Amino acid sequence: MARKRGRGMAACWYGIARTAVVDRAAAWAEIDDGGSAKIVTGVTEIGEGILTVLAQIAAHEMGVKPEHVVIGDNDTARAPEASHAGASRQTYMIGNAVALASREARKRLVDVMAEVWDVPPQQIGTGNGEIWAENTNHRISMGEAVSTAKNRGVVPVGSATFGTDTTGLHPVDGAGRPWQAYVFGAQVAEVEVDTVTGEVQVLGIWAAHDVGRAVNPQGVEGQIEGAVVQALGQALMEDYKLDNGRTTTSGFAKYILPTALDVPRVNSIIVEDPDPLGPLGVKGVGEPAMVPTIPAIMNAIYDAVGVRITSLPATPEKVLMAIREKEKQERQIVAEAAE
Amino acid sequence: MPDLRIEATVNGRTIKRSAKPHQRLLDFLRDDLNLTGNKEGCGAGECGTCSVFVNGTLMKSCLLPVAKVQGAVIESVEALTATGELSVLQKAFHKAGASQCGFCIPGMVMAATAALRANPFADREEIKERLGGNICRCTGYQKIFDAVELARDVQNGRLPASALDEVDTEDGVIGKKVRRIDTPSKVSGRLKYAADMTMPGMLHVQVLRSPHPHARIVSIDTSAAAAMDGVEGVITSDDVPGEDGFGVFVNDQPIMARGKVRYVGEAIAAVAAVDPLTAKRAAAAIKIDYELLPAVFDPFEAMRPGAPVLHDYAPDNITKHIPIRVGDVEKGFAQSDLVVEETYTTQPIEHAYLEPEAGLAYVDHDGVVTIVAPDQNITHHRHMLARIIAKPISKVRLIMSPVGGGFGGKEDMIYQGMLALLAMKTQRPVRLVFTREESIVSTAKRHPSRTTLRMGLVRDGRILASHMTMVCDGGAYGLSTEGVMRKGAILGAGPYAIPNVRVDTYGIYTNNTPSGAFRSFGALQTEFATESHLDICAERLGLDPFEIRRVNAMRDGALTHTKQKLGSVSLLRTLDAAEQASGWERGAPNSRGARRKDLNRDDIRPPCALGARFAGVSKQEAAE
Repeated sequence: MARKRGRGMAACWYGIARTAVVDRAAAWAEIDDGGSAKIVTGVTEIGEGILTVLAQIAAHEMGVKPEHVVIGDNDTARAPEASHAGASRQTYMIGNAVALASREARKRLVDVMAEVWDVPPQQIGTGNGEIWAENTNHRISMGEAVSTAKNRGVVPVGSATFGTDTTGLHPVDGAGRPWQAYVFGAQVAEVEVDTVTGEVQVLGIWAAHDVGRAVNPQGVEGQIEGAVVQALGQALMEDYKLDNGRTTTSGFAKYILPTALDVPRVNSIIVEDPDPLGPLGVKGVGEPAMVPTIPAIMNAIYDAVGVRITSLPATPEKVLMAIREKEKQERQIVAEAAE
Repeated sequence: MPDLRIEATVNGRTIKRSAKPHQRLLDFLRDDLNLTGNKEGCGAGECGTCSVFVNGTLMKSCLLPVAKVQGAVIESVEALTATGELSVLQKAFHKAGASQCGFCIPGMVMAATAALRANPFADREEIKERLGGNICRCTGYQKIFDAVELARDVQNGRLPASALDEVDTEDGVIGKKVRRIDTPSKVSGRLKYAADMTMPGMLHVQVLRSPHPHARIVSIDTSAAAAMDGVEGVITSDDVPGEDGFGVFVNDQPIMARGKVRYVGEAIAAVAAVDPLTAKRAAAAIKIDYELLPAVFDPFEAMRPGAPVLHDYAPDNITKHIPIRVGDVEKGFAQSDLVVEETYTTQPIEHAYLEPEAGLAYVDHDGVVTIVAPDQNITHHRHMLARIIAKPISKVRLIMSPVGGGFGGKEDMIYQGMLALLAMKTQRPVRLVFTREESIVSTAKRHPSRTTLRMGLVRDGRILASHMTMVCDGGAYGLSTEGVMRKGAILGAGPYAIPNVRVDTYGIYTNNTPSGAFRSFGALQTEFATESHLDICAERLGLDPFEIRRVNAMRDGALTHTKQKLGSVSLLRTLDAAEQASGWERGAPNSRGARRKDLNRDDIRPPCALGARFAGVSKQEAAE
């Protein structure tokens, strides 16, 4: 058989939010006219879907519909600091800040309605664009409630900041508390290796990642799928080459990226071990999902054809050379045994 | 050459207007007709973001001279929403979560539309082939395939139109597959990225870059460039009014080369002119005298005494060293039954976000210097920029434009300073759009690494000692190197309880393209080593790969290698989940490849056999 299949696995761990420094993020919230809501925060949507995640969190916390949440995002003159897009931090840091700000805005509205309906605030429920008092017939739309509050001189707003309890590393032994939330994961890769050409095809990935709590499972899957394919690029084909400081790969004709034809089926398994320190239980997934893929693929190549690639990328040339070398060594062993 | 007179039908309207002979169809659509839905990702026909229909055929508009479309019928992505409603395919992208940063999506939607026009019953494998000319860097393509299959089934009546509707969110919205709120703007091409934005009186910026990896700048003569008709401003490091220097951890990089250049592609000067061509010609007219300096391209050579020094503050060329120490590794090795050492190397990687860097800047009515850019860290950039241009922070404003992919590569303030200085100098709005080549040459890469790992274990698989040394090429400037070394060191020994750990990570200056932040940085390199190594050891010990990890796994309340006490540790849960989902067959590594038979699971894809589908058809045709 010219084509051999193999499977490999690898595990990972990762820290969420900025490393070995105190991280922080802030948000402002308002339950707005008509029962819509406004969130303003210095968030950076870089494609992961954070705006949708924040809309879901705000909707959940304030009891409005997610499609009625308006997000004012990153502008240093208009939005409070939420810091950067990176370190798998936005859902954790900004999500928690939005949740806390939303709770404060909701409390302002709930306090007004508790007074109007003469019930304790704990008895008030909100959800899906409505506000009501449990065990009574009081139930009105959020829009009406906002109007009631404003007629009493109250604009239901809130603000919040979320920070981490972290430290730097000791300069000699590295001791320290670099993150307050850790995630773990494991992936299995199935590959097919063509022993004539050296080409490796990754056919399947099973990726299990702890994300704390998945606000939007489709978004989590999207992060895992994208991370796996970026890692596959580094594992098998991508290579920025320099010749005395000058690149020879200055375009996509030379710098080869994974296309639709290169990608495995990615099976995502979402594990939820909620973070006990934040109000939502969320953690993160953007970066950790990339970490086990490369070793899982290299381990699968070994399982398929018995060659260990320790130098990335595992191009067809490199894999083929390793297979030939292994065959040569095996022939030598047989020859030596025969003598 | 005289202007062309182009007559064509664009999105159902007859267009008659003049065009420049050097314009491509993409320029004509975007610049002249303001149809900015289709994007420029590479300018070389390789990424597909500019895909449009010409006489019904999918074409890459960056490769078509506008003269070639004389009399043609052209449809850009905007044509798909001519009725004011998203097409079935666009709705399917929304439902399936097929769009992330969105920059490739207008082109992807066009290619998918072409695929279903060509074969309304295309299966998943055929869809993949038909999308093979379009690159997406965010999604991993899975949900794009899902979306095209969904659209196909709705169009064919196999699924009802309601399959495209929002999921029910009546019972709360956390944990639900709520559709992304930004997708309609992305699938329709309505979302404006920085390169799609214009302002009245806007000037165009061209940067002049270093052709040398290491050279002293003897002189810069901008007089000829500044005197050219249409040039409104030329800047060099002399125009920086404040304290020059940016970086994520150490501010070692000037806005433009100051005194010397340290890598090929480093910015030296920038021009603002009335149009991009004039700006380009003016940049070419800047004269620079260099005195070439010895350069170093290998981090191990750079660490040797006498190697060329890049930065005065770091005479040993070490950007950062991070140590981790637990117990005594030598004692651990002495007690081990098996000691294995191996070296692992990783290559530099380009982020290849589909949106090349771009930005606008202007000085507003209150004198606030304002930058609009796809920027991953506007908070920090505002701080740095205020110091560099010597203004109070309240007079510096950064506005994030939609980010067409970042992955860490847009954390560096690589061009925002030039935009600010040119807006200040010309007092007009300025816009800078990188070409793909510029983006690849001048911006950070993932750190290439060389990691030596020595691990000692006892027969049952327990790791007694792990000794890791990683040396990374940080390139010419510090950028995120310090953070990369830190993360690589903290996480390098893996999520395993190991009594003796020694890790050292070193980031080194060289005259290569700078290395910087890239998704999973540091950990990706060091965990690749540890996770490969564990399989080597598992084979030697006759252990299953899951088993050796379970034996060593950190458990609830474990101490990390930085002596931090953890709470709940979910590693065992994720190991169990991956093992079960994949139907893992137990055994040591290299026990399965030759003899396994349990293939053809429905949760893998078939191996790609490009063109086999067509071979099958022709055989069938021949038989008939």
